Amino acid sequence: MLRPSLAAMAVLCLSTGLATAQSAWTGGDDLPTNPLACDGTPATPVSVDYDGGEPTNPPDRAGKAITVVDVPKLIGVGYFDATSKGIAEATAELGNMTATTDGPVEANIDDQITVIDNYITKGVDGILFAANDSVAIAPVLKKALEAGINVVGYDANAEPDARQWFVNQAEFNGVAKSLVDALAAEIGGEGAFAIVTSTFTTPNQARWISEMAAYASACHPNLTWLETVEAQEDNILSFNQANTLINKYGDELKGILGMTSIATPAAADAVTQAGQCGGIAVVGLATPNAMKPYVESDCVKSVVLWNPVDLGYAAAQVLRATADGTLKPGDTSVQAGKLGELQVINGSEILLGAPFVFTKDNIADFDF
Amino acid sequence: MTARGFLRHETILALLVLVALFVLDRQSDRFLTVDNLFNQGRLMTEVGLIAIVMTFVIVTGGIDLSVGSILGMTAILIGVFWKNMGLPLPAAIGMGLVVGAFAGFVNGVIITRFKVPPLIATLGTLALYRGIAEGVSEARSVRGYPEWFFVLGQGELWGAPTQLWIFAAVAIVAAVVLAYTTFGRTTYAVGSNEVAARFSGLGVDGAKIAIYSASGLAAAIAAAIFVSRVSTTRSDMGTGIELDAITAVVLGGTSIFGGRGTIIGTLLGLVLIQSLKNGLSLAGVKSDGTVVLIGAVLILTILISNLVHRDATR
Amino acid sequence: MTVTAPRARRSSVARFVAAYGQEIVIACALIALFIVVSAINPRFLGANNVNTIVSGNAYIAVAAIGMSMIIITGHIDVSVGALIGVLATISGTLAVSGYPVWVAWTAPIFIGAAINGGVGALVAYGRLPSIVVTLGMLSILRGGLVSSTGGAWINDLPPAFQIAQARWFGAPAPIWFMVILTVLAFLWMKNTAFGRSLYAIGGNAEAARAAGIPVERRTVQVFMIHGAFAGIATMLFATQLRVIQSTVPPNLELTIITASVIGGVSILGGTGTVIGSTLAAVLFAAIGSAMIFVNVSAYWLRAVIGLLILVTVLADMARRNREFWSNQR
Repeated sequence: MLRPSLAAMAVLCLSTGLATAQSAWTGGDDLPTNPLACDGTPATPVSVDYDGGEPTNPPDRAGKAITVVDVPKLIGVGYFDATSKGIAEATAELGNMTATTDGPVEANIDDQITVIDNYITKGVDGILFAANDSVAIAPVLKKALEAGINVVGYDANAEPDARQWFVNQAEFNGVAKSLVDALAAEIGGEGAFAIVTSTFTTPNQARWISEMAAYASACHPNLTWLETVEAQEDNILSFNQANTLINKYGDELKGILGMTSIATPAAADAVTQAGQCGGIAVVGLATPNAMKPYVESDCVKSVVLWNPVDLGYAAAQVLRATADGTLKPGDTSVQAGKLGELQVINGSEILLGAPFVFTKDNIADFDF
Repeated sequence: MTARGFLRHETILALLVLVALFVLDRQSDRFLTVDNLFNQGRLMTEVGLIAIVMTFVIVTGGIDLSVGSILGMTAILIGVFWKNMGLPLPAAIGMGLVVGAFAGFVNGVIITRFKVPPLIATLGTLALYRGIAEGVSEARSVRGYPEWFFVLGQGELWGAPTQLWIFAAVAIVAAVVLAYTTFGRTTYAVGSNEVAARFSGLGVDGAKIAIYSASGLAAAIAAAIFVSRVSTTRSDMGTGIELDAITAVVLGGTSIFGGRGTIIGTLLGLVLIQSLKNGLSLAGVKSDGTVVLIGAVLILTILISNLVHRDATR
Repeated sequence: MTVTAPRARRSSVARFVAAYGQEIVIACALIALFIVVSAINPRFLGANNVNTIVSGNAYIAVAAIGMSMIIITGHIDVSVGALIGVLATISGTLAVSGYPVWVAWTAPIFIGAAINGGVGALVAYGRLPSIVVTLGMLSILRGGLVSSTGGAWINDLPPAFQIAQARWFGAPAPIWFMVILTVLAFLWMKNTAFGRSLYAIGGNAEAARAAGIPVERRTVQVFMIHGAFAGIATMLFATQLRVIQSTVPPNLELTIITASVIGGVSILGGTGTVIGSTLAAVLFAAIGSAMIFVNVSAYWLRAVIGLLILVTVLADMARRNREFWSNQR
């Protein structure tokens, strides 16, 4: 009886020693960062050569009806439901494209590769994707290119030579700047905050955390990062983790950054139930539907995202343009239907625009 | 062949597989092509390797839930050995296999020496090994493997995908061992009645440790193939693969209570599941529908098989 | 021929310890954890944090009650996580569609019982192993949920719906649920013929059948009860936040099974109590929280928890084996 308790205590004591001093924030990746200027002057665009892949001997699809499959990270979540809606809007407008959304039921690389593989076998004209892992998805996308299929990504990139174009919802450093600026605006230039993310292996989240660390150390050096906790894709776990943070730091905690549509509402609810609305700022990325109760009760002032419906719409438009040949390597912009002209950045990426901030004034207008 | 023999589970399953293949072939002309079948074989190898050894585990009346975590841990360690410690890649892979086998060995020891029921033991090691994968990798991926490595997972050897040769070799060896060797008979004996087996002088503990080590080794081989196929390592690789493997094994007629089961059955189960996943997709059924159908097929197949074997008490 | 003196009868304390060894181990581990961690960071023992640990995870303990009964009877259910996800979506949908909140609370209990009753029938009368049926059920429920909802957020829940946030007599409602249900289930399992029959079936189904216990009927009934407990757990799960996402919570079934099993419910069937599983659920929640308080590197969290599970299990098996051998003398 005594032994397991002693063993448990020993393990606990040993593990405190495992707390490594991380210079960057926990949860970030180790790729190079590129923080924006503090005052918002846009970086001078650097002209980069086209670095996307090319399909091998694609048939002439200009103006013809094409079938397209959209393979998001997973199906059954509101975010990709919204991008799917955007794609459907575009196909309805274009009239000569049919798109099916089909993806894995869980966000893992193996199932996503299998889905794409099946559609290559089935024979589609175009593939839209949001990758669970940029390197893991490359082999199967290259196979698609070799089969003459047009490949365009959105939301989560693959290696550049595995796809023709990537519709980027917002630059990583842009998202990072919006989040950190929103946080600093609410808690003042000085204060301590913690981050709740999904998992440390999700590429986008890891990129944002790295960029946020770089931007904050340059432009808001008096903000103190306390720690990052993982909460998987589990609402209640996110809620409990946020509560634990509130309990652990007490008055020291001034803000919580949520990195996903699961983490942010859960953190907001934790702050609300702890009676700390106003005392602890909650800022994060989330779809508006998840945040409506908290924004309406003024507990959360701003929610950062972009419009996933527009993202899906743009992706579908870009695919059409690629298949038609109106968008070619080396072009600097593309016409994307009702969204107007979108810029090409970083060689083969198409920028949707600046991150969008949902506030009490506009959140009711959106339904995703 | 007596009527009873004709109605063995494996026979029913084989008929089911044929029916499924026929129906799916009608739905799409791309299904029964050599290219597609080879491709499906490629996608099926990781689960297949694990399921083949899992057959041994379940026949002994045990279970191994930690295979997915061993896969993830081995994948990470291969990357760490190669990139961070600078070992040449073949040595790194070899070390990875050793670690995987050792992880299985640890499972075996916990189960035999400490008499922890396999479900609990592997539930604990599932968390521990996955945790080691996350901790060691700190959620970073290892990329940039040399081109020759990708032949394993993406290339071809003598006209067929490389990993299929490995899979075929393992399947044949396993089938022969289980059906025709003393070790195989010991496995069945342990599953049917462990106490009797022990009193008969069979090396029960040794057999179990060997089987769980093999399970870990199979997961490690699957890890090497997987990393080669996707050209990167992630600490979440293999999550959930244990349930896929167990589904294939059980579908193949292996009794979860032990004592009954064949490699052929497991192979048929694997083929059925993979055909459904592929064929249904080609026929236009989406992933969520496929998932539901596979669940229903599992229940119905075992139900039909049980109804045919009405007098079986297990 | 020598005559050895008869062994002294064990004192009643010793018998109590032997019978409830695992529960005592867990309780001690819990106390030890609190002492150690509060020494490092006193806020761990604060009322808010204890509330977070116990109240925020009470739904796991409630679901583990049903799961413990299933395991005691010699079966298992790997679909309970998917079931709770489905029931939560149903509950939320009822609440926003204008039904009175008590309907939204209780409908999942009946639906859960019905679905699991079907599972139980397949196990009892179809003679399918429970792991097979529940593996299949897991796929069906998960795929079905994705197909029918697309993961939509349910977000205009009426405030009266949030029962998990209520406080009764100073303590949060989930704690009341957890404690009362655990005690009732424990007493019921120990003192009623029905409850004892579950232990009998788990220990040796054929012997139980020979003793006149209607094994098939009991099996269906226990699966239905487990489904009902999943429905009650859903009440706590779905009302914790002001939004519900229509997805399957990841890994929930593993957490519930682990809580039951660590709590002393033997996977071989026939022993264990629901008090053990409730204590284990709380212990896990406490460990998770403790890891954050003690600054364990977030990357090593899962490894430490896995190690702790193994240590607990090994220690318990060592204890049981020692018990077994000492009883042989």
